[in-house]
Amino acid sequence: MAKESFDKEIQFLRMLVLTSGAYSRQQFADRLGISVHTFDKTIKRLKEVVSSVHRQLPSEQGKEFAETIRFHYLDSSDPMLLFLFRAKSLKESESGRLSLLLAALDGQPLTAMELLDACCCSMPASLPLPDEKTIRADLKYLEQVGVIKKENGPRPYRYRLRLDLVQELTREELQDVYDFVDIMANTQLPSVQGYLLRDGLKKHMIRNQDGQPLIEPFLYKYHYYSRILDEAHLFMLLGAIRNRRTVSFLYFSPKKGTSYASKNTNPLFERDTEGKLETILPLKVVYDHQYGRWYLLGHHQRYGIMKYRLEGLTQVEEGETVPEELFSENRELLDLRLRHSWLIDTGRAVTVRIRFFNPGPGIANFVKERVLLQGQWGSVTDEEDGDSFLYEIVVNGTVEIKPWIRSFGSSCEVLEPLKLRQEMIEEWKEIKTYYESF
Amino acid sequence: MNPFEKIFNHQILSRLEDAGTFMVTAHERGWLKTMLRHPAALEALEAETLARLETILEQDQPLDTQELLLHKAASKEKQVYHALLRPLRRAIMNKNFVRLSYGLKNGRGFNEQTAFPYKLEYSMVKREWYLLWYHMRYRTLMSTKLHKITEVHEEPCSEESYEQLQATVLSLLEKRKLSVDILVERQYNAELSRILYAFSCFEKEVRYTEESDEYTIRLSFLNNESEYVLSKTRFLGKRVRLINGDYMRGRMLESATKALARYGE
Repeated sequence: MAKESFDKEIQFLRMLVLTSGAYSRQQFADRLGISVHTFDKTIKRLKEVVSSVHRQLPSEQGKEFAETIRFHYLDSSDPMLLFLFRAKSLKESESGRLSLLLAALDGQPLTAMELLDACCCSMPASLPLPDEKTIRADLKYLEQVGVIKKENGPRPYRYRLRLDLVQELTREELQDVYDFVDIMANTQLPSVQGYLLRDGLKKHMIRNQDGQPLIEPFLYKYHYYSRILDEAHLFMLLGAIRNRRTVSFLYFSPKKGTSYASKNTNPLFERDTEGKLETILPLKVVYDHQYGRWYLLGHHQRYGIMKYRLEGLTQVEEGETVPEELFSENRELLDLRLRHSWLIDTGRAVTVRIRFFNPGPGIANFVKERVLLQGQWGSVTDEEDGDSFLYEIVVNGTVEIKPWIRSFGSSCEVLEPLKLRQEMIEEWKEIKTYYESF
Repeated sequence: MNPFEKIFNHQILSRLEDAGTFMVTAHERGWLKTMLRHPAALEALEAETLARLETILEQDQPLDTQELLLHKAASKEKQVYHALLRPLRRAIMNKNFVRLSYGLKNGRGFNEQTAFPYKLEYSMVKREWYLLWYHMRYRTLMSTKLHKITEVHEEPCSEESYEQLQATVLSLLEKRKLSVDILVERQYNAELSRILYAFSCFEKEVRYTEESDEYTIRLSFLNNESEYVLSKTRFLGKRVRLINGDYMRGRMLESATKALARYGE
């Protein structure tokens, strides 16, 4: 079977989440570079996954898919997009077998032959009966992903489920672990494995309280919840960096209209792709907290340091290994160039000086609080009159820091560089015209 | 490590759910092991639990992402866990009241107020925990930083009052909801993705008008969030324009006028 790529589903879900219902089917399909037929097929498949994952939800019949996965803050405890990671295709017989094996092992260690028997007894009549070789291969896989363990002892070996995490902790402790997992999955990176663990623990805890629903006490405000879609590529890229391997991919700049090209084998359906085939040596993955976006930074043989948005990457494949010296030389160079990047700008460093104005006596100084919290490596010095403070930072270019400065509105004044000061004046003038006529 | 392992397949998952079987993979344990190295683990878990987890996870490999993953423009991580999360979370879980003592920004303090706690909220921007609660005496919704709370005592609440208070909270939240329409200036349509990402942390609806090739984003938020919406709008600068809401449009005009005054314009 060809390696399954989730590019289509990822692009699809991202567009659905970001544009939440803005497009008609045709418009949506056009922008993804797929046919309406493929659009319908994809949505059908995603719906199937969602409904089997979230069956405790009220009847989804007739509810539009976009509405199903729309972000509702008060119900945001379970990350809706996690179902993407449940979308791996499996033959009915394989998913049936693997779950039968695990269910049979629940409560008792068994040998491969005992498991074969158990499997044959409970396999639905519509599915083919497994043979010993298949069962052994399944057990090997389950052992490899760490779900079961071979017990010590004489042959024939017995296998048991690895349940220590839920069995060796008291109910109280499990509650604390669940909370910890919830908090860390939401506030730290990476998060997908944490969300998967949270999901498993949650189901276990609900079973332990006789099916009573769990009260979810935690909410995470201003969270970029679609960021987990990009974690789909993350581990492959991190693996390639760790192994000093190049990667190739078809890149769609998010600024262009189309974001996916179907990789059709039928020549009749082949279309020109707007994407660009790239091969680079990956060096670092960057998460930008300002927008909730991911970047891949790497070395391109011809163009040097290159930057890509993870959301534009499709058909990612690992390539050859490069010598350690080549990797470390480029990595050091990148680290050096990134030292003063507000986000990922590797251009010339400039000193930016800004005067921030305190909100006035008797009011909590939320301006300074925010500058200290978000001002990265910049320094803060109080001014003598007590009405203001100076913020100074050496940063690569001013493009990336500018939105942050602008977000403070009239609570600040750019002093240097003069060019940035002038740009701010021009922008405020224009913004003023947006609102003058009302 | 592939997050698309077949073991995570939805059919397996739903069959295991039917059978009532718990399953956990090395991926998830490796993730947990990595997270246990974070200082928050020491606050969130008892020493005994931590020791037990260490034994359970002994053979698992942590995810080594630190060196390879760089965070940019993040707020300083002031707080990930807070000691009051445990008692407050339990009060919420037990559907109970709490008696709260807490301080305010201006230094004033309140003692033993009866509170109906309904959520614990972490701000990804301020990196701090808040208790969201209903003030029984003043009949109003409150939000208090956990680090301002000095004392918490759980108190019983009847099933009936609980149901009633839940409904009250929801209806108050509904009443506090505002919405505003934000137009993406057409010459910035190429930056649509960036703009939509910036607003993706809100409840929103996007409309697209094909004839004019224009996008309008309708954001929904609570009335105490207008400041944050304004700051996001200023953040995006000329790319977006608020097209309704007199108060917020007025505030944008005020920002621009005052900012220009700072520059002597």
